[in-house]
Amino acid sequence: MKKQFLKLYSWVDDRVQFEDLIKFFSKKYVPVHRHSIWYYFGGVSVFLFIIQVVTGILLLFYYKGSADLAYESIQFIMSKVQFGWLVRSIHAWSANLFIFSLFIHMFSVYFEKSYRKPREMTWFSGMLMLFLALFFGFSGYLLPWNQLAFFATKVGTDIAGAIPVIGEPIKIFLRGGDDVTGATLSRFFGFHVALLPGIFTILLGLHLILVQRQGMSEPLETKESKMVPLKKMPFFPNFFLRDLLLWLLVLNLLAVLAVFFPAELGLKADLFGVAPAGIKPEWYFLFMFQTLKYFPSHIVLFEGEIVGILLFSIAGILWLLVPFWDRKSSRGQRNLKINYLGIFAVIFIIVLTTLGWLS
Amino acid sequence: MKNIFRICIIFLFLYFFSASEGYAAGDMCFSCHSDMGSAPAGLFKNDIHHLAGLSCSDCHGGDNKSEDMDEAMDKKKGFIGIPKGNQISDICSRCHSDASFISKYNKHLSTDQLTLLKNSVHGKLSLNGTDRIVQCITCHNAHGIVSVKNSQSPVYPTNIPQTCNKCHGNAAFMKSYNPEIAVDQLQKYRTSEHGILNAKGDPKPAQCVSCHGSHNILSAKDVRSSVYATNIPKTCSTCHSNKQYMEQYGIPTDQYDKYIASAHGKALLEKDDLSAPTCNNCHGNHGAVPPGITSISKVCGTCHVLNADLFSGSPHKQVFDEKNYPECVTCHGKHDIASVTDNLLGTGAGAVCSKCHSQSENVKGYLVAAQMKQWLDSLTNRENLASSLIFEAEQKGMEVEEEKFELRSIHQAKIETRTIVHSFNKDKFKEVVDKGFASSKDVIASAQGAIDEYYFRRIGLGVSVLIISFLIVILFFYIRKIEKQNPLKD
Repeated sequence: MKKQFLKLYSWVDDRVQFEDLIKFFSKKYVPVHRHSIWYYFGGVSVFLFIIQVVTGILLLFYYKGSADLAYESIQFIMSKVQFGWLVRSIHAWSANLFIFSLFIHMFSVYFEKSYRKPREMTWFSGMLMLFLALFFGFSGYLLPWNQLAFFATKVGTDIAGAIPVIGEPIKIFLRGGDDVTGATLSRFFGFHVALLPGIFTILLGLHLILVQRQGMSEPLETKESKMVPLKKMPFFPNFFLRDLLLWLLVLNLLAVLAVFFPAELGLKADLFGVAPAGIKPEWYFLFMFQTLKYFPSHIVLFEGEIVGILLFSIAGILWLLVPFWDRKSSRGQRNLKINYLGIFAVIFIIVLTTLGWLS
Repeated sequence: MKNIFRICIIFLFLYFFSASEGYAAGDMCFSCHSDMGSAPAGLFKNDIHHLAGLSCSDCHGGDNKSEDMDEAMDKKKGFIGIPKGNQISDICSRCHSDASFISKYNKHLSTDQLTLLKNSVHGKLSLNGTDRIVQCITCHNAHGIVSVKNSQSPVYPTNIPQTCNKCHGNAAFMKSYNPEIAVDQLQKYRTSEHGILNAKGDPKPAQCVSCHGSHNILSAKDVRSSVYATNIPKTCSTCHSNKQYMEQYGIPTDQYDKYIASAHGKALLEKDDLSAPTCNNCHGNHGAVPPGITSISKVCGTCHVLNADLFSGSPHKQVFDEKNYPECVTCHGKHDIASVTDNLLGTGAGAVCSKCHSQSENVKGYLVAAQMKQWLDSLTNRENLASSLIFEAEQKGMEVEEEKFELRSIHQAKIETRTIVHSFNKDKFKEVVDKGFASSKDVIASAQGAIDEYYFRRIGLGVSVLIISFLIVILFFYIRKIEKQNPLKD
């Protein structure tokens, strides 16, 4: 048996040169220091993305993306399809964990200043993937075509529509008309299963190639303190096996969440119904939603909501462009202002999300 | 003294003579038209208005003092000739809407007739778009008006049916307003208890205005109408719940109280279910009579069609007819019909079957009733079991919408048993119960499956977590092992 396997391996190796690949990964090293733990969240995010793709494909076998059939098809998946409930619940939970993991990964990169030269492109591709993941979540939320999803999409696209000049065309484009209808569902389905995965996969490929080319970034402080040289861990098998261990832990967590807190379906969307009381967006949009509530109706000549959206847009663009305006870090100097700003952002997101959750 | 007495007698004689001839002598309109032998003047002679001192000119205008015909009927003196359309009622209302004027003649006479008429169905309808279809004279006449208490009055209770029928019995006339409206009300009325007594000269039984009102008549479809479905019980009870009023007729006066507590009364009055029957649905409206014993199932059958059909084909039909039992009423009662429960069937304390069937009397029916009840109880138990299993599965977070929908099939079978029971046929009853049993079997299995699935998921999770955790432990020790063999380098 072993002989047969080695023969087969040798046959494949002759054609794709596995040995080169193994040698490449064996020579790749990961720095070991007190912040090494954060390296793993990139891998966890990739793992969760893979789960998303696999469970998403399985759901596609039964899901029907039309206003008449979407809700019923999910109902069918949840009650009749073997393990359909598990696949959907894992898809829903891994989506949430994926975004959570991306946030951790993004903030760890930010606090480590790993975006500094020469990794600006890695940062951009990562940030773009974070935005795409948020849009993934927003588009996927509507697909069950239930009451909550319907009204959350209505509110969400209304907020997008409030942006001056470009807001209205964006809203019409997203909705496929003036209102949230079956046309919105069709295009959200298209975004969710074709457009977004396509773009995301290209960006992920680029991101991983860049990581391979540039290696893992070392924290600034270890470089600057000129301490004893850092220990290094071979990527394969040491780091890879640790990654695998964490993935298994995440898989366990997903299984527990899916069984004890299966994804709910709620009531079918009623286009002429009344919005359920206390409607809220998904948790990752909650801090923005809650902040907009605190804005007064008018600030000088502008509507408070528009000012809020503009401020969030500016903050997002500034965050994206941090490698360009944080010159000190690029020069290898400590920049505490960046840390303070990051801490403020984290506290702001946690506090506003909590307030939104409790309200 | 004698002379003074004679003078007084002569004076009084002259006074009364001059007074009684005074109208004729002073009212030139009446005088001339009477001389001409005019029919209106002839009728006006005994008109209540004439007797009260009113002149032709009070309605027609002109100068009733002038002996010159042209001058008397001069338009400059307000002569209008024969009033037309709404002008007629407006002239009447000049006095009849003036409370201070009318009170001089009759303090109890109301003054809102025209207002009510304008808001009534007769006031709202018009052919030419301006004039109401009914004016005061349509019902009260024009020149021979007498008190409504006068049996000669067209609006005296015994005359009202005929008065209303002048228009309402005229198909050609009525179709101008409503082609669908019936024109046989009087014909039906004369077949009713009310109509028969009315024709005999009894003014107390209900006639048109007793139910529909007089000046304020509204369409029966108008929710404010006294004959709107939900108002009918109250309208009928005005007389039928009045013990004193009904005393001479020797019929009960508790129908209203029984009705409002009945299944029909609650459906109509509490749930506003207009499909529920009210008094006229069983008794008829214009032809109101208590349904005869043999026709009761036909009356109930207008709504309970299947029940009536099944009953008519059942062995009970013949027996009931022979014994003169009032069909449906025998088991269900009449005005106090209660909501149906399963306990009406069987041989228990509240079962209606027990009225005739017992272990010693009519035994076959007793056994059938007991068997039917047993099946029905069994179906109820299965429905309860299915319901509780669905509830448990739902509480466990399982998707059981389909089972909840299927649960209705069991309930539907139960409802069907309440119909098929009127066939009093054990086999037919079993057929329906079996449908319910089959549905309940599927629902119970499916709901139990959902509960089993819940536990399977937890066991599955436990096994998965165990396997994954085992792999994690192995991996952990493997990493330690390789790092021990090849320690990390700088």
